[in-house]
Order: sequence, then C-alpha cells, then structure tokens
Amino acid sequence: MKIKYFCMALLLMTALMGCNQNESNESELALIKKTNPSPLLIKNNSRNEFDLVKSIEKDIESIKELYDVAVVKGKDDTLVAYKVKHLQRFHMKKIEKKMKKMLEEKYPDEKFTVSSDYKIFLEAVKLNEKMKDPNYSEEKASKRLKEIIKLKNEMA
Amino acid sequence: MGNKKKNLTPAQQKYQGLQQKHEFKRPILKNCLRAFWVGGLICMFGQAVTYFYIYFFNFTEQTAGNPTVATMVFFSMLLTGFGVYDHLGQFAGAGSAVPVTGFGNAVISAAIEHRTEGFVLGVGGNMFKLAGSVILFGVFSAFVVALIKTILITWGVI
Repeated sequence: MKIKYFCMALLLMTALMGCNQNESNESELALIKKTNPSPLLIKNNSRNEFDLVKSIEKDIESIKELYDVAVVKGKDDTLVAYKVKHLQRFHMKKIEKKMKKMLEEKYPDEKFTVSSDYKIFLEAVKLNEKMKDPNYSEEKASKRLKEIIKLKNEMA
Repeated sequence: MGNKKKNLTPAQQKYQGLQQKHEFKRPILKNCLRAFWVGGLICMFGQAVTYFYIYFFNFTEQTAGNPTVATMVFFSMLLTGFGVYDHLGQFAGAGSAVPVTGFGNAVISAAIEHRTEGFVLGVGGNMFKLAGSVILFGVFSAFVVALIKTILITWGVI
C-alpha cells in the first residue's frame, strides 16, 4: 500500500515538473548543463581588452579536463570560473595549479582568480546576464565582481 | 577452530550440527543492494540540499557542507521522532546508518528510549550514549590530523 502511494507521489512530481516549460534564464540551469557564457568585460571596453579576454577564454577552453568556462575581467582582477569533467574532479587541485601557472606565464600583467566552484561559476553567469541590462551600471558590476572574488576566498 | 570443535562433547557437536541445519542464511547480496540503494538515495537528497544552499543562499561548494550536514541530521531526527527512520533502518541497515543521517537517528532514538527516566538523568544522560563515541572519535582524529598538518607545515614539507 505504501509503495503504491510512493509511486503515485513520484508520478505526480514527474508530471508537475514536466509542466514547467517556461522560458528560463541561462543561470537557472548553469549548475546542471553546459552554458558556455561569452567572456565579460566590465571596464575599458576597448578592442584590445576584448581580444585579451577572448584569448584567455580560448586558452582555458583548450584544457581538455574542463567543459564550461566563464571569464569576467574587471578593472584589476580577472575571474576565471570553470567546470571540471566528472572523472577529472579527482585531480581538481592539479588542474587549478596547472591553469594558474599557464595563465600567469602567458599574461604576466593580469591578476587572476581561478575557481572550479559551482557557486562562483553560477554568479559569473548571473553577472553576465545582468550586464545585458542597460540599466545595470559598471560600478555595480565591479562591486559584484569584488563580492564574488571575496566569496571565493571564504573558507568556512 | 578445529581445536575448539575437539573440546566439545559429542552432545554439543550434535547440537551444533542441528543448529547449522536450521540456521537461516544471511542474504548478504540482498542486504548490500538495499544498503547501496537507500544510502545512495540519502546521499542524492543531500546533494540536492547542497545545491539548494548554493543556489538560493550565499554558500559556495566549500561552505555549503556545514548547513547541508545540519539539515540532513535535522531531517533524520524528525523522521526518527515520527517513527519512519526505524523502518528505513530495518530495511536498509548500513545504508541508513553510515550516512550522517544515522548520527541524528542514534541521538534521538537513545533520547526517546530513556525519556521515562526523566529529562536530566534520562534524556540528558543517555542521549549521547551511542553518538558520543562518534563525536569523540571525530574530534580526536581531527585534532591528530591538524597536529600532523601543523608539524608538516612548520617543517616546510607542504
């Protein structure tokens, strides 16, 4: 009898979830599927800077252990958030070390913050979405980027 | 083992043979499968709670662990109080005892068992009868690991 109720509840939940077909933002599904957000430049929207961010993203995407990359470049800091392929998550520290070394060697003038944390990735995608809104100012975006970097450094 | 059998009297040996004939065989594979599925489902629920904290609150993957553990223990305590977790434990065995939810169950089941002896000497005194050793072992091993890490950092090994 109990199994019958459990199966009914499960069916109902599946049916209700199936009904939810509203258009959703990318960030809502960023934890589950590949979103591949475009690189974001908060200040100095010059061609050179844009090329730089694009090249950073391309370099990181070339690492075969990763599958989703978000790059956000602020005034001083550059945030690199990425997702590691499931079985490669055992080597997360090694991948982070390798990536940091590669970035510092290739772009010695930039200050990088790299993170494989889902939350940081999610916030980077959300910031990317917010920047599409013309009312969202650069100051607000810079402040948010600083907050994300602070969140990344929090330990407990 | 053989030596032990030699020391038994013929009557005892006969009884042992009879007992072995009627003894139920433990369904090890079935128990393992049940533990695997139920334990896995509990962990899946825990992962969903972690994602909930990451998505709706300001927790990162690193910091979401603490509230997740607290939530899971709280849920298992509630389920123990309602008498649901006992059935789950009976069905899944280690699958329900090994995840952190088993800790909540151990605390509350001991508290319920001794509530007739009063709140202080009964509930308070016996609440950690089972879970106390887990806490002590956890705290002590964390202390030892931290000590080793501190020494290694001081020596410059890591």
